[in-house]
Amino acid sequence: MIIKTKMTELRKKKDMTQQQLADKVDVARQTIISLEQEKYNPSLALAHKITKALSQKKMEDVFIIEETA
Amino acid sequence: MLGKPEWFQRRKYGGWGITPKTWQGWIYIAVLILPFIIFQSLPYWDNNTRFIVTLIWMAILIVDVIDIMIHLKRDEREKMHEAIAERNAAWFMSIILALGLAYYAIVNGLNGKIFIEPFIAIALFGGVIIKSITNYKLGKKN
Repeated sequence: MIIKTKMTELRKKKDMTQQQLADKVDVARQTIISLEQEKYNPSLALAHKITKALSQKKMEDVFIIEETA
Repeated sequence: MLGKPEWFQRRKYGGWGITPKTWQGWIYIAVLILPFIIFQSLPYWDNNTRFIVTLIWMAILIVDVIDIMIHLKRDEREKMHEAIAERNAAWFMSIILALGLAYYAIVNGLNGKIFIEPFIAIALFGGVIIKSITNYKLGKKN
């Protein structure tokens, strides 16, 4: 299972920096970088926080789960 | 306490503990260590006074560092990284301790003695107990 994300695109649309988003969801900036680079899969709670911070209604608007064979 | 957690970060490389993140962290170290060095370098005190002051100073330092470490802010990714690093370190140390225990047991056995290095045995046995308690508590919690 791979989690793809639209975080970078949505964050830039909102004119937010990585640090601003990190402060809003209470994580380190490095965690936002890892999430945007799809190197780290967030917990359900963090994915929910990010969805809210990026003014999205559904988590699927930010994170896309891709099943691997 | 004396130091604030936001002045420090977890030591990732070169051991355990904390390392300064901001200038306040460096000031904290200087303020805590310099008076002690000055105290120790002055010739006015007898050995008993030096011993008592060192004991009090170390107690303050240890309690404060533990307090800072407990209150250090870490997000879920950082906690996961820390847990994996600690697990790997614990595995390495356990293997070396087990090898050490076996080595001493064999060497003593060849010399006709039955002796198990107590510190190594306590470390390994203590580790087993801590692991069991942790798993039990985690199982109860979630």
